[in-house]
Amino acid sequence: MEHIFESLAQFWEYTGFANCSWQNLVMIGIGLIFITLAIVKEWEPMLLVPIGFGMIVGNIPMFPGLNIGVYEDGSVLNILYQGVKQGWYPPLIFLGIGAMTDFSALISQPRLILIGAAAQMGIFGAYLLALAFGFAPNEAGAIGIIGGADGPTAIFLSSKLAPDLMGAIAVSAYSYMALVPVIQKPIMLLLTNKKERLIRMPAPRVVSKQEKIIFPIVGFLITAFIVPSGLPLLGMLFFGNLLKESGVTKRLANTASGPLIDVVTTLIGLTVGASTQADKFITLKSLLIFGLGLLSFVIATTCGVLFVKLMNVFIKNPAKKINPLIGNAGVSAVPDSARVSETVGREIDPSNHLLMHAMGPNVAGVIGSAVAAGILLSFLG
Amino acid sequence: MRKFLLTVLTALSALALHAQNVSDLIISEALAQPDSTGILDGYGRRGGWVELYNKSTGTVNYAGCFLTDDRTQLRKSIIPKSDNRTKLGPRQVVLFYCSGNRHDGTFYTDFTLAPGKTVYLVSNDGRTIIDSLQIPANLPVGKSVAKLAPDIRQQEFAAQDQPAIPSPAILNGDRNAASRGELMKERDPHGWILSVTSVSVVFSALAILWFLFWFLFDRRAKKKAEHKPAKVVKGTPDAEIAAAIAVALDMEDSGDVYAAIATAVHLYLTECVHDAEPGIVTITRKESAWNNKALTFRKLPR
Repeated sequence: MEHIFESLAQFWEYTGFANCSWQNLVMIGIGLIFITLAIVKEWEPMLLVPIGFGMIVGNIPMFPGLNIGVYEDGSVLNILYQGVKQGWYPPLIFLGIGAMTDFSALISQPRLILIGAAAQMGIFGAYLLALAFGFAPNEAGAIGIIGGADGPTAIFLSSKLAPDLMGAIAVSAYSYMALVPVIQKPIMLLLTNKKERLIRMPAPRVVSKQEKIIFPIVGFLITAFIVPSGLPLLGMLFFGNLLKESGVTKRLANTASGPLIDVVTTLIGLTVGASTQADKFITLKSLLIFGLGLLSFVIATTCGVLFVKLMNVFIKNPAKKINPLIGNAGVSAVPDSARVSETVGREIDPSNHLLMHAMGPNVAGVIGSAVAAGILLSFLG
Repeated sequence: MRKFLLTVLTALSALALHAQNVSDLIISEALAQPDSTGILDGYGRRGGWVELYNKSTGTVNYAGCFLTDDRTQLRKSIIPKSDNRTKLGPRQVVLFYCSGNRHDGTFYTDFTLAPGKTVYLVSNDGRTIIDSLQIPANLPVGKSVAKLAPDIRQQEFAAQDQPAIPSPAILNGDRNAASRGELMKERDPHGWILSVTSVSVVFSALAILWFLFWFLFDRRAKKKAEHKPAKVVKGTPDAEIAAAIAVALDMEDSGDVYAAIATAVHLYLTECVHDAEPGIVTITRKESAWNNKALTFRKLPR
């Protein structure tokens, strides 16, 4: 009988109850909030459900040394986490994004590409702020990329520049991507007047198949020659798009845009969530990263909207003016930020559909953030 | 012809693969005459040595390569093929003791070094000299001759004129050199230079893309459209379509209906995806694995 009690007492030491700390409970609570937001509000459910559940998985208190935790070498979670740590998953996701993206909106109105460039200022604004808060340049670069509003890019760059901060950066990037409608709308309304919001843009022209095929090849050659360090992301993005547009590799395109991206998204979400173990995550640095991440989204949105207003100053033909409500879409976050443009635009004029126009800067933002990540890697890697 | 092209491509790929391997090795340092502080080999002896460096960013297997001090005898001292330690990691060094007897071990050579000699590293084909390093005749005792790469890419190595303090099995040059991040912190503590540079590069990259597509396609397409009379769809005036949409929108309050009508009209007007009847926009139901009843029925057990 005594042995049984001893065994039970020993077993108790291995249970989550005996090893629990308040930090674990906080992180589990955050994970539950993520899952609730994803299911109830439908905010980025594909990301928030895996990340939220991953947070719960990663924060189950456990006896150290059982070789099951995400940070314990050789454990199953650790092996899956290598895809994040070594930066394998983000390029695979970019392959899928490329195979899903229709660049027609961009090709039909090439001038909208520049909005995608302007919105990248959020990255560098956050970089400056992070330096001012005492982060090292490589850490500041990794934090800044949150402003690109592109989860895979944020994971890719932070795994190279500041692996210790990757969990906080990834969670911050995905959380704010989910909160794009909440963050961007007030800024858009603040920076535009009624007259500007009512601008109707001409319908985009029909893009030929030839243009769609040439775009990924030319786009890749130009961007990769300028920023070769962005090769894994840019190469996969444009390759995926070529698979889609070539018309002769439908099976490959379907796999890349379907099963492959689904598998990788599941794994990346779960392991990023699991990497937020309380002892490594609940720090002052993480809080600062969350704050700076929010600011980077604000700066990016502001710069995108203001840049469109600046472009309008130089566009003399009133019929060719651009509605500044599509400026926010320059921050990657495909297609959520473009949806925000559509929603806000229709609030003031229900018949003014901005979605197709906003998709132009939106996909330009994907290219822009990958280019920006490549630049930061060149300077700070 | 197709087979020939494939063969040529395969051969070229093989060459490229080879180029990424042993050809990335260099003789980075050599010492002919050690002083009393020189490194001891595995047998407790002091002698000359040669250091190899892998300048690539991948692991190189140099088993089967040769080291020699005689240009007429390139296969003088073979590096054993059977030793799995003959893999050199990226930007790492390995030391060979020039004891004069390669049977001393894997990392020993069949020759000794002396001032004025040249050491050669020969590929595993026994003919191709990958790299060489001449030991100056006037090299002082206890000094080595080393190669350094002053370029940022760390690829173009050149022997230094001045004798070097020996650094066997250690990377040459400043081993505590600041990382790029640390350098950036020194040069640009507030981050303005990097920010302005990066924003300029992002804008330039996307502006080039914009210009190219505007110049190659957008400009031409618009010119073409200006010269071409507007397409009139037979039997379906725009006013009729507008009226149909207006009626539909009045009747329905579902976003899906709007989207379906808009898509159908768009396809009809731009890509002429439409069946035979004029004046009627048809949305054809498409079966998929999700809604195809034949696929969702379960087979009854017999």
